Amino acid sequence: MNAASVFNRSWSGVALLLGFYLVVLMLFSLLSPWFWSWDNMMSIGANMAFIGLMCAAQTPLIIAGGLDLSVAAVAGLSGVVVALLYADGTGIWTACALALALGAGLGGINGLLAVRLGLNPLIATMGTMSVITGLSLVLTGGLTKPLMIEEFSWLGSGYVAGVPVPLVLMLVVYASLSWVLSRMRFGRFVYASGSNPEASRLVGVPVQRTLMWLYVMSGLSGALSGLILAAMLGAAAPDAAGQHLLTVIAAVILGGTSLFGGRGTLSGTLLAVLLLGTLNNGLTLMDVSSFWQDVTRGGVLLLAVGLDQVRTRAMGG
Amino acid sequence: MVAHSRLQMRDICKSFGGAPALQGVNLDLGAGEVLALLGANGAGKSTLVKILCGVYGKDRGSIRLDGREAALSRPEEALGQGVRFLPQEVSVLPDLSVAENILIADLPVRRTMGMAVVDREAMREHAGELLNRLGLALDLDSPVSLLSAPEQRLVEIARALAGKARIIVMDEPTAALAEPEAQALFRIIARLKQESIGVIYISHYLDEVFRIADRIVVLRDGRNAGVFAASTATRQEVLEAMLGEAMEALYPTVWPAVGESGDGGDIAPTDIAPTDTSTDGGIALEVEDMHVPGALYGVSLEVRSGEILGIFGLLGSGIAEIGRALYGALGPLRRGRVRLAGQPYIPSHPRRGRDRGIGFVAAERQREGIVPDLGVGANISLPFIERFLQPGGVSRQRERDHAQTWIERLGIRTPSVTQPVRLLSGGNQQKVCLARWLSEGVNVLILEEPTRGVDLGARRELYIELRRWTARGLAVLVVSSDAEEVAGLCDRSLVLDRGRAVGRFGSGVSAAQLMEIPGLAEHAS
Repeated sequence: MNAASVFNRSWSGVALLLGFYLVVLMLFSLLSPWFWSWDNMMSIGANMAFIGLMCAAQTPLIIAGGLDLSVAAVAGLSGVVVALLYADGTGIWTACALALALGAGLGGINGLLAVRLGLNPLIATMGTMSVITGLSLVLTGGLTKPLMIEEFSWLGSGYVAGVPVPLVLMLVVYASLSWVLSRMRFGRFVYASGSNPEASRLVGVPVQRTLMWLYVMSGLSGALSGLILAAMLGAAAPDAAGQHLLTVIAAVILGGTSLFGGRGTLSGTLLAVLLLGTLNNGLTLMDVSSFWQDVTRGGVLLLAVGLDQVRTRAMGG
Repeated sequence: MVAHSRLQMRDICKSFGGAPALQGVNLDLGAGEVLALLGANGAGKSTLVKILCGVYGKDRGSIRLDGREAALSRPEEALGQGVRFLPQEVSVLPDLSVAENILIADLPVRRTMGMAVVDREAMREHAGELLNRLGLALDLDSPVSLLSAPEQRLVEIARALAGKARIIVMDEPTAALAEPEAQALFRIIARLKQESIGVIYISHYLDEVFRIADRIVVLRDGRNAGVFAASTATRQEVLEAMLGEAMEALYPTVWPAVGESGDGGDIAPTDIAPTDTSTDGGIALEVEDMHVPGALYGVSLEVRSGEILGIFGLLGSGIAEIGRALYGALGPLRRGRVRLAGQPYIPSHPRRGRDRGIGFVAAERQREGIVPDLGVGANISLPFIERFLQPGGVSRQRERDHAQTWIERLGIRTPSVTQPVRLLSGGNQQKVCLARWLSEGVNVLILEEPTRGVDLGARRELYIELRRWTARGLAVLVVSSDAEEVAGLCDRSLVLDRGRAVGRFGSGVSAAQLMEIPGLAEHAS
């Protein structure tokens, strides 16, 4: 019911985004003959999956009143760690497990700083972002490490029933997290903590524990994204993921999550991720330079958030 | 009305999304008149006032200011016409000085090399004049954040007077003030009268309304329900006009029988077997020699199941701390012995208090009470969400039924169970906060300022519900700075002053007796 209450109002926001998405799909279908095909749709999904995964954990974290700017840096480090461990003779899947554990651990450190020590999450995770990015560069000497292993690359370019593995992973994560947020007790705690932490604490909601778990989840999502990206590229580049941080934050905001906490949905985030991916894809097919793509992406973000603001005001706060 | 007319509002209508909020309301205000605007929650007081202040546009009707038609379609316009509003919550600019706060809307400037530079001399001079007019002595250069909350309120009043104020609307101005500060406010209002400023005064405290108002305008369900001269009207008349029916006594004297109301719902409180039906059960909460650094120095008390113990005090007396310290919201209690039904208990954390069967409703509803974005149902179920779990998550059906029961029992006005609580009125939000704890397994309920900002009709419903629960063995601790409430509602009461218990009373104490404790009188002078 909490979910319903939160969703009720955001539904019209999600609907707005959906409308926008459909318009974009239609436009590109008309403008490019290659756009509207199963293969192209799947490739949009697969290409966005590693960003979508980071957004999936970032959304509940922001709803609960946190923020993790280090997530993309964790993704970079995770790929690097796998490459180095594998080169050292560790089994590839063991290396992956260690990278995931490292991601969760780094998330835990973010949690300690932002939750237990009470540092502003923006500053705390900006700090860890810089430290983690730096470590990736130190470990690799700034070089890209090849990681061409058949079974590992399945993670990035394999298919399950005709659907790319990254996309399957992303959809599974969204479906289960969405269930957790809307139906489970933990989801209640997420919305309550972000909406009014003090009132939540006073009725016995474990606000700090909830946020700790979300930071750990965010670190984990970063590590998983890093694995997928490395598998797709067939290499671990220390700086490959970092540039996508702003896309992650933009998608969460575009999806209707309030930066002040308490409001937001995963369905909105997923839609925003798909919208941004589709824009990228369509503009590329139309041979628009990637510089102009940046301009378009920013414009869409401002337009969507602006429209949403107008809508909210019209509905009376 | 002999005085010259400041304001005439005629046939004001306003609806929100088809739901009428005001249906042809009239209001007259004379120059130098204090007009009390009364009405239950949802009667239309705030809508009317917001129309006057240009926050909402009116659908129909006319507004005349000093005899001239005024549009007042935007807040800036209303400000320019000299209509000033003092909201319930203090809204000052904490890092700016007193003088800057007072003149912020119209800082005096001088031109230096073509640039507008704040003229500090003129600013201090003007602000000083305003404070003098109000008979206030505040340091003009001190940042407002260093002032106490009541002093900040006074700064706001001075700000409202800057420029040419003609009408000042005050919404519950004394809600956060203790008696001495309230007195200061009343003196200020007297001065405003002399300057023939019209004052519209919204309050739930009838005593103060009769003390300071010239006339009383009552709204009910968006219509005029009566106009009274404060000097001749009786409380009974005014209450009846507000509530629309012969008003029973505000404080229930005959407790409703256990299980009296038979509304449905799976977890209806009426279905819970009373733990103790007698009204003088065992000691539910026992506190000995409790100390909280800087706030409480050796307070002892006991609350029996089935009774309501009131704790009365002014600002700084320790009433802000005692309730939450017992619940565990202030961290581990360092000194003092506490027993719950005879078992030792060390307050340490809210979760701990909850698990030991203590419920707690904090004084600051917006900051510490409601979870604004969650729905009514989710707010009510939050402390005991475990009880609504089933395989696969929270049972929305059970939660909805539970909330529905409370919406009916407490008369919570909400369009649906899923309505976000931030969209409810203050009184209804308070009912939501209370409903959370009227639940099986809560043996001691600690309420801070339970009816602050709650209208009389809703107050009565809350009081009756409390009595229904004490009748089944709940022990209630009411911590309040409202002497009338403590005297009227509680079986026994305790007066705090500067962290110590300075008086104990049984039932039948009057508000005046509570206020007359020697320590307090000295405090007030």
